[in-house]
Amino acid sequence: MIDVLHVLALLAYGGAWGLQVRAFRAGDPGKQNPALFVTLAGVGLHLLALGVYAGQHQVLPLIGVGPASSSLALLLVVMTLTAAEMYDVRSVSLFLLPLSLFLMGEAVWVGVEPAVRQTAFRGPWFVAHVGTTFLGYAGLALASGAAVMYVLQFRSLKRKSFGKIFQFFPSLDSLDRVHRVGLGSGFASLTVGLVAGTAWTVTYGGGFDLGNPQVLFGLVTWSTFLAALLVRLPGVLGDRAAAKVTALAFVVTTSVFLYLRIAAGDSPFFL
Amino acid sequence: MTLWVVGVNHRTAPIEVRERFFLSGEQRRAALEALMDEPGVREAVILSTCNRTEVYLNASPSESPGDAGARVLSTRSGQDPAEAEGYLYRKREREAVMHLFRVASGLDSMVLGEAEIQGQVSDAYRTGREEVPESVGKILHRLFQRALSAGSRVRTETALGEGAASVPSAAVHLAEKVFGSLEGRRTMVVGAGDMGALTVRCLADAGTESPWVTSRTLETARDVADDVGGRPVAYDRFWEHLDEVEILVTCTAADGVVIDADRLSRAVRGSSDPLVILDIAVPRDVEADAADIDDVFLYNVDDLQRVMESTEEARRREMPRAEDVVAEEVGEFWDWYRSREAVPLIRAFRSRAEEIRRGEIEDLLEEMDGLGEEEREKIRSATRVVVNRLLHSPTVGLREMATEGEGTERLDIARRLLGLDDEDLEEWIQRESDE
Repeated sequence: MIDVLHVLALLAYGGAWGLQVRAFRAGDPGKQNPALFVTLAGVGLHLLALGVYAGQHQVLPLIGVGPASSSLALLLVVMTLTAAEMYDVRSVSLFLLPLSLFLMGEAVWVGVEPAVRQTAFRGPWFVAHVGTTFLGYAGLALASGAAVMYVLQFRSLKRKSFGKIFQFFPSLDSLDRVHRVGLGSGFASLTVGLVAGTAWTVTYGGGFDLGNPQVLFGLVTWSTFLAALLVRLPGVLGDRAAAKVTALAFVVTTSVFLYLRIAAGDSPFFL
Repeated sequence: MTLWVVGVNHRTAPIEVRERFFLSGEQRRAALEALMDEPGVREAVILSTCNRTEVYLNASPSESPGDAGARVLSTRSGQDPAEAEGYLYRKREREAVMHLFRVASGLDSMVLGEAEIQGQVSDAYRTGREEVPESVGKILHRLFQRALSAGSRVRTETALGEGAASVPSAAVHLAEKVFGSLEGRRTMVVGAGDMGALTVRCLADAGTESPWVTSRTLETARDVADDVGGRPVAYDRFWEHLDEVEILVTCTAADGVVIDADRLSRAVRGSSDPLVILDIAVPRDVEADAADIDDVFLYNVDDLQRVMESTEEARRREMPRAEDVVAEEVGEFWDWYRSREAVPLIRAFRSRAEEIRRGEIEDLLEEMDGLGEEEREKIRSATRVVVNRLLHSPTVGLREMATEGEGTERLDIARRLLGLDDEDLEEWIQRESDE
């Protein structure tokens, strides 16, 4: 049941992305409604899947590659939808849905099942750590998507290329606001998550293992996006340069993630 | 009654001919009065814009409303009727309705999907009704209301009206791609060109602040500022304000560059906001190298033209959807309009039945002396129920027949079958109109 619902949600997200690509190819932002409705259907199925998981296993879907990837994918989709409606930037899902698709694909591939050693990872501190860290990752992904779109739209406007990007992408102002909000809230949330994680590790884990891929990934992400945040401070860099730094930070963290994920092999605890 | 449209537009006449047909406020009122004096004309509306002059009529079919409309148009525009005839088109009934709905939706416009036409159609109807109140009755009122509603639906349900359809709207579209909302954005116009003033007005409609206006002479700047609701600035001092400006429109008649890249770069160095420059002067006012300055977006007339072309293609793709909406709205209006044709017939039919019922029952009651008033009323009531029940199905059938194809011919057959001559009907029609 959980697997079937996950596959259905994955198909819905895939379909929504396909519809977005079609709207982009038509250069018509007015044709994004079908993608929105299919995404919402996917969110419904996804929520149901994770609800069934929590009910069946009596644990939140935060531990283990499958459940954690699925939760992060859901958070990313929900955050994308919220930002899209708040700032009128629906086309940002063109960049973020593939990321959710990747995470969902991974969850379906490895199976959405509890990790063997669940008991160690319980309690409010741990939930706060994972929850805020995931929120941070989702916020930074949102900021990165908006930053990439900003750079592309800026280029279209500067080069007077009035093609599909010009027509389909939102204004520079809207993209910059999403970039700023995503970066600020994502970084703050990630910081809280890392602090909570450190406190939990020191208290219950007995020490801090820098060799742990999760710890390494968290620190790399935090450091690179700290740089992206600093260049946004007034008088440091302009909006376009700041967007480029965020996009670069995203490339760096994604590369590190892929490297660590491959290196981690079949470890059930790294995303 | 029949509906007619007679007119000229950008497809049938070149601009020099359309200009002759154009009717300004007073001419339009006089033409409307002349139309109302024509035999058989019950209602009339005149729509006159730079791309079309059209007369919409609701008139008796026994006259020649099309000829009357053509005669008034050619006379009022001072043209030889025979010559004018070559440019005029005439459409009647459903074709005329379809024509107006397409016009109001921007489907028949020179610039496909332009929004201005909807306001012009609304003005034509409203001012006609104000100036010559008897010129708009039930039919044209409903026709124009439905046409305007069709236009609104096309604009909200399709993307036909999206994107830029003129140089000023292309300018607004470009500025919005940089700033999103233009609410409170600071603008400046350099020069006194008409297109510049029009562009600034469009920007103000989108929410920008009242603009600074500068020109070679302060007097001209004041005139333009008054015209667009802006603030005049002396020509030698406009550079001082450039770092506060977010949208700059240039439209001078200067032979050479007015704003050079180096000086502009120094002027905007302190600004943290982007600057959109819309150079709509020919020859250009702004040095091309200004486009290389970070956060400066420079566009000239050719660029604005390209923006219009890029959105024109998208609008064309929306045409089938827009035509569907128009067809649906025309269908609804047409059903209502045709069902009205059955109303006089139904009323005459029911009146005849009531006349027969009353005559027969009163004769009978006169012969029945022994009945009290209560019993008599019960008998009258029972016969009324019987007649109403018998007439229900034919009444519904007549209404339906009127809305179907060849409804008029069918109603004629029904009229003969029911034994209702034309005089009865004319009487009802006259009474209806008087009411």
